[in-house]
Amino acid sequence: MTSDNDRRRGLLARLRGRPVARSRGRRRLGAAVRLVAALMLAGGAYTLLAPSASAQDNPPLSTAAADGKALFDVSCVTCHGRNAQGVEGRGPSLIGVGAASVEFQVSSGRMPMARQEAQAARKPVVFSPDEIDQLAAYVQELGGGPVVPAGDNLHADGNVAIGGELYRINCSQCHAFSGGGGALSSGKYAPSLRPATDRQIYAAMLSGPQNMPVFGDNQITPEQKADIIAYIQQTLNSDGDPGGFNLGRYGPSTEGIAIFLVGIVALVFASLWIAGKS
Amino acid sequence: MKRRKFDVAAVPGNTARAVDDRFQVATPLRRLLNKVFPDHWSFLLGEIALFSFIVLLLTGVFLTFFFEPSMTEVIYNGSYAPLRGTPMSAAYASSLDISFDVRGGLIMRQMHHWAALLFMAAIVVHMLRIFFTGAFRKPRETNWIIGSLLFWVGFLAGFTGYSLPDDGLSGTGLRIASAIMLSIPVIGSWVTTSIFGGEFPGTIIISRFFIAHVLLIPALLVALISVHLGLVFKQKHTQWPGPGRTNGNVVGERMFPRYAIKQGGFFMVVFGVIALMGGLFQINPIWLFGPYEAWVVSAASQPDWYVMFLDGSTRLMPDWEIFIPIGDGYVIPPLFWPTVVLPGILVGLSTLYPFLEARYLKDYRSHNLLQRPRDVPFRTGLGAMAITFYVILTLSGANDVIADKFHISLNAMTWAGRIGLLILPPIAYYVTYRLCLGLQQHDREVLAHGVETGIIRRLPDGRFVEVHQPLSAPDEHGHGELPYAGWVVPKKMNRLGALGPAVRGFFYPIEKPAEAPVSPGHPPVEPRAERAEIGSGEKQS
Amino acid sequence: MSTHTAEPGHEPVDLNDPRLSRFDIVREGARRDDIEIVHYEPQVVPGSKAERRLVRTVAAMFLLTGVAATAFLVIYIWWPWEYEPGRGGDKLYTPLLGVTLGIALLGIGFGILTWGKKLLPKEVSIQDRHEGVVSSDDRLITGETMTYMADELGVKRRPLLGVSLLAGLAPVGAVVAAPLVGGLISQPHKNNQMFTTGFAPRDGQKIRLIREDGRPIRPADISAGGQITVFPGVEHGVSNKYADSPTLLIHLRDADAEESRRNNEREGHGDYMWGNYAAYSKICTHAGCPASLYEQQTNRLLCPCHQSQFLITDNAKPVFGPASRRLPQLPIEVDAEGYFVARSDYTETVGPDFWERP
Repeated sequence: MTSDNDRRRGLLARLRGRPVARSRGRRRLGAAVRLVAALMLAGGAYTLLAPSASAQDNPPLSTAAADGKALFDVSCVTCHGRNAQGVEGRGPSLIGVGAASVEFQVSSGRMPMARQEAQAARKPVVFSPDEIDQLAAYVQELGGGPVVPAGDNLHADGNVAIGGELYRINCSQCHAFSGGGGALSSGKYAPSLRPATDRQIYAAMLSGPQNMPVFGDNQITPEQKADIIAYIQQTLNSDGDPGGFNLGRYGPSTEGIAIFLVGIVALVFASLWIAGKS
Repeated sequence: MKRRKFDVAAVPGNTARAVDDRFQVATPLRRLLNKVFPDHWSFLLGEIALFSFIVLLLTGVFLTFFFEPSMTEVIYNGSYAPLRGTPMSAAYASSLDISFDVRGGLIMRQMHHWAALLFMAAIVVHMLRIFFTGAFRKPRETNWIIGSLLFWVGFLAGFTGYSLPDDGLSGTGLRIASAIMLSIPVIGSWVTTSIFGGEFPGTIIISRFFIAHVLLIPALLVALISVHLGLVFKQKHTQWPGPGRTNGNVVGERMFPRYAIKQGGFFMVVFGVIALMGGLFQINPIWLFGPYEAWVVSAASQPDWYVMFLDGSTRLMPDWEIFIPIGDGYVIPPLFWPTVVLPGILVGLSTLYPFLEARYLKDYRSHNLLQRPRDVPFRTGLGAMAITFYVILTLSGANDVIADKFHISLNAMTWAGRIGLLILPPIAYYVTYRLCLGLQQHDREVLAHGVETGIIRRLPDGRFVEVHQPLSAPDEHGHGELPYAGWVVPKKMNRLGALGPAVRGFFYPIEKPAEAPVSPGHPPVEPRAERAEIGSGEKQS
Repeated sequence: MSTHTAEPGHEPVDLNDPRLSRFDIVREGARRDDIEIVHYEPQVVPGSKAERRLVRTVAAMFLLTGVAATAFLVIYIWWPWEYEPGRGGDKLYTPLLGVTLGIALLGIGFGILTWGKKLLPKEVSIQDRHEGVVSSDDRLITGETMTYMADELGVKRRPLLGVSLLAGLAPVGAVVAAPLVGGLISQPHKNNQMFTTGFAPRDGQKIRLIREDGRPIRPADISAGGQITVFPGVEHGVSNKYADSPTLLIHLRDADAEESRRNNEREGHGDYMWGNYAAYSKICTHAGCPASLYEQQTNRLLCPCHQSQFLITDNAKPVFGPASRRLPQLPIEVDAEGYFVARSDYTETVGPDFWERP
């Protein structure tokens, strides 16, 4: 099991049109088919990819991908190198990361990076949605990889209760119960989920950007992803706080600050007034 | 027969007579009504704790009507849709019901939690006042010890309460508590299994914590608070030095009516502030945390603020494990030192401090007059050192939140805490000590040379000097002779005057005195002769 | 400070003297408690403008309380309070209750305070403390009385009584403690519970690794750079009953797996991985939190409670923070049906450290 699962599934997904597995029986069957297909494709993929590493004689790109390549050569080539093969010490290779990864990084403004740092931060977006699609198409055609399904609302039939349970098992350790994010080691961090769109969350789970683990479709099915996104968007991000101002949902640390800055300060002022000699 | 007329006006008098006939309360009641209390804003800090404790009792009783202290698994089917169908403990389900299905339950829960935070905060602030003014000295050492114990018992009350809802956050806290008990050498595993009734988490800990939280600990708190107040009553309150105030008297107001009215009003204010916070600031949103499951955790898991210093000490502790090579070998885990030994030392130091200081100063007299912090620089310095130590630990307890929100490396935060914990307290001591000396010096200067008037005079030789208003008749060198009285020295012209501040008003000064009130029935009583001789004015708060 | 009796000009007052005002009697009462009212000054002239203004202010505060309390009741009863998802009116229920209740309480509080502070006369009274005034006579008498009583009991002369009483009472004290201690105490090593987890093979049957919904796991389920929380495939395996068993199954990338295998070899865990998959206990060896913040590029695992960091590629060695012990590794393999199983239970103790752990 040393081959790259991501890439294999991405190719499969492209062949099948949608990376969906439904019932358990079908999933098992699908897995068997996939396994066979993967073995057959392993060689095929190699022949597909190996030449792309030596550049020049690529299969012809689609129009969108060609436009994407033009954009790439202007904005991304410095760090990711010619034909996205990566530059040692500056940027990783993008072969096989898939459209999902491009979509996540570029649509959240993380790419292009402003400077080299521990972790790329969310910034104002540089490219238009069309340009992002073109870039995604280019990277996808370079080496395949996971793709986010179409549509802006990916949680239409998600179940928040199931999503909540999955969220607490898989996501809350880094992104916190509140979705506000948290610190990782040595300056890295899990970002807040509040500004994230459905597509970005989906893409992040599929592609595992930066230090986030990958949650492929075999581990968390597309339905479960929809559940998780529903929980994030409908409960964490849109459900009002029934108890008043939420103090940033940082937990006991801001509550502790509040009791001193509001409670104690107000009552000390009151006692100053009470004992004052007016 | 002529019916006797019922005289309404005589009812109170008759009742009073009847009561006194039976219980002979007139004399003790008069003593109570007449008891004199000194008045200063800092004497009200302890009341904040007392009043929030009363609010805790009131709201806590309400919560017990709906809380079910059981770890039996149920499937949640209440109003909160995002958790419907989730298996959880009955304790967590009933906490959710209090938040969503009991009308007004959420505000009660939030008021209870805010009151708990306020209770602990007020205890700490009150203790700081006691410490920095030397109010713990003989004869009040016992009350200082009771006060320190109140902090730790309140700590337990808070922790057990934090654990009861059995949500994801409190379960994590409980898990750490079990690990702390487990870390005790030799008996750790026995203590843990005995308290949890088996391996963590067992099925009984919530019911045990419940009875501790609603009965045992509150009973202990009530007992300690009663003794605490009884001793304040018996020993009479300390007072600041000032005109007419000596070690042998209490200058202030009689308990009734004004002092009692102020207390009653202040209770309402504390209650009101808790109600406002309970309604306006969301606290502990347990519905976001989900039920406790041993494999679920959140980034930035923290305890409430008064436990955070222990969390901080645990985070800063290096990974020093002690291995004892006897037989199969035994270990003392690194967790033991910051969570068992450190609190032990803190309890010991805080309770023993009055005796240590008395021994160090060889001062075994009774003290009823407070000291200004600047007049005892070493104690003030020690206090500043302790505060610095505590604040660094508390901040380290939230260092991941700080790291995340201020974009600092988490590892750097830990190292900053480790280094800061060692070097900042001594620096705080030194700086505070020098500040105290400087303030003292300025007081002495004013007493010797007088108050700066702001009037600049040009001398014949061309030099400019500021004219000082001496506070007493100057001697031949132009120096005053007033000794330092341990109280505020006036440093502005409009603070001069023997009795009280000349300027009135709380937020802004009322320059003109109000119309002089004259009451024919109650002619103002003349001050006694000794009041006139002391020159330092009273602090205007 | 002298008491009032030493003060000149304070003769004992005849309480039946008709010329005495009520204040005179109050002052006399205070004197009997060693209190001297040295300053007593009405703050407002009765009937003056200032008084009327203050009375109006206090009355307004009390009335505000009434209005706020009524508003509280109205909101309490009629405001739509039941939970609805979104940002609807129900989210305002608690804040509105808090504001109205707070205003009501603050109104009454500040009303009373203003009444007491501004409308009642200012006073300065001095009370003697009477400390150290306990007469040495009293001390002597009390001390002698107690000693006398002790003598009467005659424990000194009749030592047997004292000894036998102590001997009799000591077990009674133990009787009080016995049910408490005996009831609570629980043997920690019952069934070897502290050293086993749900992954211990049962009846020679290896335990499967399952997800939170009970499904077993195939290698293809986890992408490279992915991780999943797994549980022992036994009854109640996914519950707090097996609080020590949750495990993190990680699919390492090729290079990381290579390094990992090398380091495992050194630790004697050479065959614990299966392919590029490694399983480590999710329960932190420091304080038992789920250490599960897996950084897939640096291969660090962070515990969110006390920031211990474990390097997965170095056999989960603690590299930062207070943890002193590696996360135990679960030896895994894939069974005939293609699902992950635990080859055996953990070979080290899972969970936070304790005295007799080694």
